[in-house]
Amino acid sequence: MVEVAVTAPAVLDVHDLRVSYAGAVQALRGVSLSVPEGSVVAVLGNNGAGKSTLLRALSGTLPAQNGAVTGGTIAFAGREQPRDAAAIARGGLVQVPEGRRVFSNLTVEENLRAGGLAAPDKAARAEARAWVDELFPILRERATQRAGLLSGGEQQMLAIGRALMASPKVLLLDEPSLGLAPKIVERVGEVIREINDRGVTVVLVEQNAAMALSVADHAVVLEVGEVALQGTADELAESEAVKERYLGVPRATSTAERVESHAQPLEVEALSVRFGGLAALSDVSFTVEPGSLHALIGPNGAGKSTCLNVLSGVYEATAGSVRYGGRELTKLRPHRIAALGVARTFQNIALSPRVSVLDNLLVARHRLMRSGFLADGLRLPAARRERAEHEARVREIAELLGLTELERPVGTLSYGTRKRVELARALCAEPELLLLDEPVAGMVRDESAAMAEAITRSRAELGISVLLVEHDMTFVMGMADRVTVLDFGKRIADGTPAEVQRDAEVLRAYLGGAA
Amino acid sequence: MNQFVTLLVGGLFLGAIYSLVALGFVTVFKATHVINFAQGSVLLLGAYVIARLHESLGFWPAVAVGLLAAAACSVLIDVVLIRRIRRADLGTLAILTLGVDILLATELSRRIGTDVLNIGAPWGNHVTELFGIRVATSRVVAGCVAAVLVAGFWAAFKFTDWGIAMRSAAEDGETASLMGIRLNRVAAAAWALAGALAAVGGLFLTSFPAAGVTGGVGVLALACIPAVVLGGFDSPGGAVIGGLIIGVVSVLTAGYQEELSFLGRGLGGVAPFAVMLLVLLIRPSGLFGTRELTRV
Repeated sequence: MVEVAVTAPAVLDVHDLRVSYAGAVQALRGVSLSVPEGSVVAVLGNNGAGKSTLLRALSGTLPAQNGAVTGGTIAFAGREQPRDAAAIARGGLVQVPEGRRVFSNLTVEENLRAGGLAAPDKAARAEARAWVDELFPILRERATQRAGLLSGGEQQMLAIGRALMASPKVLLLDEPSLGLAPKIVERVGEVIREINDRGVTVVLVEQNAAMALSVADHAVVLEVGEVALQGTADELAESEAVKERYLGVPRATSTAERVESHAQPLEVEALSVRFGGLAALSDVSFTVEPGSLHALIGPNGAGKSTCLNVLSGVYEATAGSVRYGGRELTKLRPHRIAALGVARTFQNIALSPRVSVLDNLLVARHRLMRSGFLADGLRLPAARRERAEHEARVREIAELLGLTELERPVGTLSYGTRKRVELARALCAEPELLLLDEPVAGMVRDESAAMAEAITRSRAELGISVLLVEHDMTFVMGMADRVTVLDFGKRIADGTPAEVQRDAEVLRAYLGGAA
Repeated sequence: MNQFVTLLVGGLFLGAIYSLVALGFVTVFKATHVINFAQGSVLLLGAYVIARLHESLGFWPAVAVGLLAAAACSVLIDVVLIRRIRRADLGTLAILTLGVDILLATELSRRIGTDVLNIGAPWGNHVTELFGIRVATSRVVAGCVAAVLVAGFWAAFKFTDWGIAMRSAAEDGETASLMGIRLNRVAAAAWALAGALAAVGGLFLTSFPAAGVTGGVGVLALACIPAVVLGGFDSPGGAVIGGLIIGVVSVLTAGYQEELSFLGRGLGGVAPFAVMLLVLLIRPSGLFGTRELTRV
């Protein structure tokens, strides 16, 4: 298979491609990629590495996101790629968008017809329709149902079927396994192989490296907008460099010293959460020791955020218990949990953009303030004194996190800095236990280093316990005391970073059967 | 009672005309997310062209030219003004169309002056008797034409490739373009359709019992805005129902003006908006509109 790929001519040739968003953010910095005809090429990388940007550039949908190609060339079937998305699709380069995006108000049959509009002629349409029926018999059964009523897996099948209706020469797949159960992910992998067997070239963007490497001939790993590694899928699955990128390297500093702490242990026992028939978490147990930095990791869709949402009272547990210092949390409302000294941050920034950093942080002191709004509004001496005390404390915490310009409106700060403001705000509530939801998602390397530094320092200085949810394993390896690994809602490993890294189950979840 | 039934039937026929104009409005909104305030002046343009040409060309050719002119004008608004700022926000685009409306309506009123132009329809001021109720023939024709157009529109929307392209584009433009659907063509088709529907509306709104084409006809189309809002901005079915409701309400309030005189004069013009406000208080997205969903 590999030999075929090497000798076949490139159907898609990307040379030194540069893309920026809003005229400023460099998302791709000179990416070159050659896709041989009839092959499956996987594009891997973490959040923010530029995978989706690359696909957007290929399919001509950058302008919708205010992005533009600033340099380099894309050649498809030997000719320069047109700029218009519809023209590209009609030329035979068809993308299945991330998150499936079926037309949910149209029926299944109508969705397929919509895909067929790009097919070259009636015969091609009829042939494609027969093939889709053969690949996905379920879609025939559901033909008259509204697509919005299908399950996630069926919607993914429909999205792929819809794209096949256009008789593509090259099929681009954006994260097809995202949020799907293991069985269905396996089926998606089989489908990709079947499609490829019929001579369709496939470019597959995946965060799930295990799945991608199992179906691909070739793979490239993107990192911060550049190609970091490339080779055949087998080579990459075996390579130490890939393991390092997905699993991190143990560092000498990895076992951080114990800190003095007032916090109490957080004990999660046999926690299960179901949404309808889907088990998002099943039977998960772990303990966050006082003053420790505990990481909860796993690939996308593993149930990490669900777990955090149960801990902070946003979701209800179906079974199991969560105790913080003897208090049962599963029955408490979010604000009661916060009052116990458990604070959290969110994956998406939730700050007031027009208000200064200082005022955003002072809001978090609300729980600790005693004077009422009347006393505060009249600027009574007691209220003024109280405000001054709180402001001094807020400035201390901000300094700890390396935040200097406290008077600036939050909206004018960079993404990385805003995420640190959010961390600071959580700390200003003086929590004993801090829950962090993907604090470095979408950050470039310098920003995530600054964040790691901020987390480590605040834990040491403030004596808190931290539960860190993250899918980027390399980020937590250097700082966590203990790591719990989830995959498809189940705990697959628990231990020190070094133990977890050697765990066969973890290797399989992140890199697939190769390891 | 007899008066009530007469008014009700008259209202439904008038409502059928509003439905057509409102349908054009909704089509444009669905395909391009533009609230097209220029619909009123495009309607006037259609009626004006028919009124000017029917003597030299004959009535039916004049209608054809009027429809084409309104459709072409509507497409021009999209291609020249809207297309390049497609991603601007709703308010900007709406105000742009409001500007176009003022320009076009002013120019047409200047040309018409104080005249009242006859639309030259073959049914003139005939009156038809339907089950003992006397209705202007033009309104009966309007009702039939509207029924045929709405049915045809529905079928095209539901079954043809064009309809599927249109609905896909309305639901998720970016994904539709990934499926090879040319959004600019879909948009142009929607605008053309809206223009033609406006011209049909204009033709009937200026036929008997109306006096003819005057500079003020564009304002009549304003009654379609409560119809659209009432039905829900993104629902073609809602536009049709909304049009019928507004027609009935305005004819009824005008008919019972004497009895309702304590509310002041000119109630017929105000009532549609009052009904619109009432409906919005209870159903903020209109009768059939999609509720806006916000993710937390």
